[in-house]
Amino acid sequence: MENAKINAMQLFVLIFLFELGSALLIPLGTEAKQDAWLAILAGVAGGVFLFYIYLRLYKYYPDILPTEYMQMLLGKIFGKILACIYIVYFLYISARVLRDFGEMLVTFAYEETPLFIVNALLLLTIVYTVHKGIEVIARTGQLLFVVLYFLAVAGFILVIVSGLIEIKNLKPVLENGVMPVVKTFFKETWYIPFGEVVVFIMIFPYINRPKKLKKAGIAAIVLSGINLVITMAINIAVLGVDLTSRSQFPLLNTIQAIQVAEFLERLDVFFMIALIVGGFIKITIYFYAAVTGVSNLFHVKETSKLAYPLGIVVLILSLSIASSYTEHIQEGLMIVSLYMHLPLQVIIPILLLIVAYFKNKKKERSK
Amino acid sequence: MKFKLRKLSRPITKSIPKKPGKKEEPLDHSLPNNLDELMKRTGNSSDIVVRKLTLNNDAKSRAAIIFVEGIVDNRSIDDFLIHSLINDDDLHRVEAEDEVLEKIAAKVVSLGDVKRINGWDKLFQSLFAGDTIILVDGIAQGLSTYTKGGESRSIEEPPTEISLRGPREGFTESLRTNTALVRRRIKNQDLWVKSITLGEMTNTNVEIMYIDGLARDKVVQEVCDRLNRINIDSILESGYIEELIEDQTATTFPTVQHTERPDSVAGNLLEGRVAIFVDRTPFVLIVPAVFIQFFQSVDDYYSRADIATSIRMLRILIFLISLFAPAVYVAATTFHQEMIPTQLLIVLAAQREAAPFPAVIEAILMELTFEILREAGVRMPKAVGQTISIVGALVIGQAAVQAGIVSPAMVIIVAITAIASFATPSYSIAISARLIRFGMMIAAATFGFYGIILSFIILLVHLCSLRSFGVPYMAPMAPFIASGADDTIVRLPWWGGKERPRLTVDKNSIRQGDNQKPKPPSSRTMK
Amino acid sequence: MKIGSIIILLLMNMIFLSGCWSNRELPDLALVSALGIDKAENGQYVGTIQVINPGNVAGGEGTQATGSESTPITTYTASGGNLTEVNRHVSSQVSRRPYYAHTNLLVIGEKLAREEGIAKIFDALERDPEFRTTTKAVIATNNTKAEDIISTLTTIDKIPSNKVIKTLESTEQILGQHMNVDTRDVLSKMATPDQAPIITCFSMEGDENQGKSLENIQATVPEARLQASGIAVLKDGKMIDTITEDVSKGTMWVLNKIKATAVSIDWKGETDAIVYQVTRQKTDVTADMKNTNKPKISVEVSAEGRIGEAAVPVDLSNPLLLVEFEEALGEKIKENIMSSIHKAQELKADYLGFGGAVHRADPNAWESIKGEWEDSYFPEVEVDVTVDAFVRRTGLRNEPLLSNMEN
Repeated sequence: MENAKINAMQLFVLIFLFELGSALLIPLGTEAKQDAWLAILAGVAGGVFLFYIYLRLYKYYPDILPTEYMQMLLGKIFGKILACIYIVYFLYISARVLRDFGEMLVTFAYEETPLFIVNALLLLTIVYTVHKGIEVIARTGQLLFVVLYFLAVAGFILVIVSGLIEIKNLKPVLENGVMPVVKTFFKETWYIPFGEVVVFIMIFPYINRPKKLKKAGIAAIVLSGINLVITMAINIAVLGVDLTSRSQFPLLNTIQAIQVAEFLERLDVFFMIALIVGGFIKITIYFYAAVTGVSNLFHVKETSKLAYPLGIVVLILSLSIASSYTEHIQEGLMIVSLYMHLPLQVIIPILLLIVAYFKNKKKERSK
Repeated sequence: MKFKLRKLSRPITKSIPKKPGKKEEPLDHSLPNNLDELMKRTGNSSDIVVRKLTLNNDAKSRAAIIFVEGIVDNRSIDDFLIHSLINDDDLHRVEAEDEVLEKIAAKVVSLGDVKRINGWDKLFQSLFAGDTIILVDGIAQGLSTYTKGGESRSIEEPPTEISLRGPREGFTESLRTNTALVRRRIKNQDLWVKSITLGEMTNTNVEIMYIDGLARDKVVQEVCDRLNRINIDSILESGYIEELIEDQTATTFPTVQHTERPDSVAGNLLEGRVAIFVDRTPFVLIVPAVFIQFFQSVDDYYSRADIATSIRMLRILIFLISLFAPAVYVAATTFHQEMIPTQLLIVLAAQREAAPFPAVIEAILMELTFEILREAGVRMPKAVGQTISIVGALVIGQAAVQAGIVSPAMVIIVAITAIASFATPSYSIAISARLIRFGMMIAAATFGFYGIILSFIILLVHLCSLRSFGVPYMAPMAPFIASGADDTIVRLPWWGGKERPRLTVDKNSIRQGDNQKPKPPSSRTMK
Repeated sequence: MKIGSIIILLLMNMIFLSGCWSNRELPDLALVSALGIDKAENGQYVGTIQVINPGNVAGGEGTQATGSESTPITTYTASGGNLTEVNRHVSSQVSRRPYYAHTNLLVIGEKLAREEGIAKIFDALERDPEFRTTTKAVIATNNTKAEDIISTLTTIDKIPSNKVIKTLESTEQILGQHMNVDTRDVLSKMATPDQAPIITCFSMEGDENQGKSLENIQATVPEARLQASGIAVLKDGKMIDTITEDVSKGTMWVLNKIKATAVSIDWKGETDAIVYQVTRQKTDVTADMKNTNKPKISVEVSAEGRIGEAAVPVDLSNPLLLVEFEEALGEKIKENIMSSIHKAQELKADYLGFGGAVHRADPNAWESIKGEWEDSYFPEVEVDVTVDAFVRRTGLRNEPLLSNMEN
């Protein structure tokens, strides 16, 4: 564990940016049609619930990393195995997000550039950042937060000014009943992006005032949820349900539709900044969690040294997990959600919490 | 009106300790021997004046006064030293030889500061500092009397930091004058000054100044430690010290601020910072320095808060322009033509139609040309400077466009960038932006906006990883510290910010009383 | 750390040495301002691109010398079995890479729109990252080929595509009979049964060969002119008919697209004597689904405006008279709207968006009827139109000139 501290506000910013990261760009929850925003709202509720579980776990062991307390809870061997699983999970997801990100960039602006180069450049930036440690990540997050919010507000105003919003497109609410929303919630919006907060259990121990953690976390989840809801609602209102769900990047199409005063048009760069900043923060946090986990588990003293070799692993992984974008997306929807997100974000933390509860009760009694 | 008074000062933990020097060689008893030794050691330097005299017409007690021509005040030597020594009646009555010096110090010399000297090193130190040395035959000791003087520049308006509203005084080359200029502004016993001599050869006086009780003890201690660590032959300017004490060396950004303005130093001291004065330079260092400080000018504090805030926003914009303008042009015209409005693109395309160079080469060429012009203009006498600007603007700018070698749009971009880089208030941050600009252009030429945005992120990460004397460089924005944020990009009115910035002040953080917002009576009669 | 820096250095080298894939300099691009697609007799697509000659369009010192004698655009035509093929074939004629990001006009030939439909070509356009969905779409009608629209030179606006777009904008605003539609609108309407897409038609009057030469823009009355000519109605992606005049105006009323149009009414036997200029308009379309099998649509229009012309002697300072005007105006607008509705029902194409109203009113019922909506329900649907027109002011004069002359 690094000798560093971050404050509650920085954690808030990190969670917020992390949640928006890639979710802002993809057609999130469009299986629920025009009720995608409801599915996202449900995701917020699920996210707060999960966050609460992670928080309780953290409260039992406020000073050590999960890789350590897993060993305390499950015994040396099983604990180590589980910690390894989590580390691999974090690495794998960072590779996945990197792939997502690279594919987006190649599809929309850099058609002739090899994916390897696009990914390598971003990863280089990330390795450099992780190398600098969590304090620097948190501070950079604070600055990027301002950048992103400025863009978001500007974009929002522009969309409204260009008169693109047709509220009609959002109606009727709950056309096919609650089921599609619930289904989307369980298939998608609970895990992406809200369940992904699980990665922050690796960062909780760095917080300087644990009492503020709960407020910061929940505020970040709710606020990012609201932002996602607004974005998705705007996307649907501008593009219509059909176009939104068929589009790879609905936000890009919405931004491209902006035309104000014959000059404020073609603002694709807004999307690009959001895309790169979001991808950067998201991968950085996953990658940082993996690096810290490895250094903690294998007792490597200088965490920052690990960033380089693990970075190469992630880079190669990102290129080799799928041969085409379609395959990559299908893997994500079919396999990752069910066999990785659900157990690792929901089931195992709940089980761990139960074990921790009984262990600590025993301890108290023995005292 | 309730002011929260500050606690009275407590002594600072540690003053700058003396360096453990080598053992000093003592003076000889005999005056001729001493004078011979002096001549030998200084190589008969012609600016050293030795005036031999006898005390009170008594041929037995010979003495000599020694000084260096030009750095002493001749009048005080004549009036208060030679005159008194020659005419004093009391001296011949002294029996014990040791008492002669005592007598001279106590009764004869009517000058401010008199010190006793035992060895050669001490003697030279004060001799070259402008003191006058009195040696008396038969005594292996000497006296050094304060006669510092000589020609020095008068106080003028600082040429590098001109303000529209505010004092016109600037620092000079004289250390004492400089500390006095600050002392006149903060008349308080808590304004402390510590002195140290640095440079094996130059023996430069360096003084640190801070307000006890406001500056963090840790920072003061750290400054002292870092200064003490310096072991170098010469300190000719504060730039030497800046490079030797900064936190991170691998950066183009300044982590130490320098200024020529006493009011700026005073303001910074009141925010708990530490000033480092170096003799023979008008530039005073201020630590710790944070990024946003380089966008603040003293004018901001003297003009209205709303005006100051908008000007600061403009400066941030200027900084961004000077960093990104050519890079964005290159990226937009070679990678992202879809992001340029159609009409503008047609105009640009028409201009670039016959351009012989790719956009990035054109950009780098023109930027380089500008840098050459600037460098040529900086050190030129004023008369030649005008010629250079004519050659630069007309011959190169106009001719290059007319010859079709560069496109007019590029010239516009370079001009905007150039003006922007001059409009940044701090030279040291502007020059760092200029350097990074070339990197940005290359990033833009290879990867378009992707390259620019990634470079921007790396730049942010780098800035966030810097520290200046323990203070995060991007504070109070990242980490966000509310109590310091009232004076960043936004400057709140004086009545709006009650606390001193938390970054540099941990105790005594209350700056002013409650309810300082003016509340004039509402009626017109002022009742 | 050392190993790390070496790796980074190697990576950097690799990147910079091999860099600049997507890099393209401006002089290497042919800026395509408009794209026209026709269907040839043999069933192949014929694509025409309008490429801007930047030097002849942009003003300024540096460019004047290169010659005002040449045309602002050049067009290229090629054919192929699909759009990608067409594009590849075009490149054998153009010295530069055709660049579609600034294409702001898409012209579709009538033959193509009627026989094959527009779905296929829209897929290619939508999928392409360069082509933007803000591009305006028009259909070339009246025996005009898309190619003719693309290659006719125009005055005032040097680039013909700009001329077409600006005409669309101004006619939508002033006349209110045409609609400025971008491909995004068309796409989103084609995807749902809620509403059928409509696209404005353009045609060329005059000699098509004359239009291609510079002489066309040197005359005060150009030999070949481009003009908007009605609205094409599409059903299942195919064009079935065009609507013009009152029918298209009525459509615009229902679609809430009227910005400033003029409505004229007869008064005291005089035809089109009073002209009403609309300044503001609001239309609500709602569906009443009490009887699921027979939805009832109600269209509520309210309009505000002023009197623009009065060709008969009337006392415009009389408020009661204005109320009479309002009633007559309401009737007239209603007539327009009804004609549009009848036409739509006759064509069995729901370009008025009544399906969407039903969808919003009763999603469950919509689910069961949406498949047959256009063919069986829509033509039978009962529509209730109410129009409230308000005359707010009467212009700079109150009594018309005529009333004084007759006295």
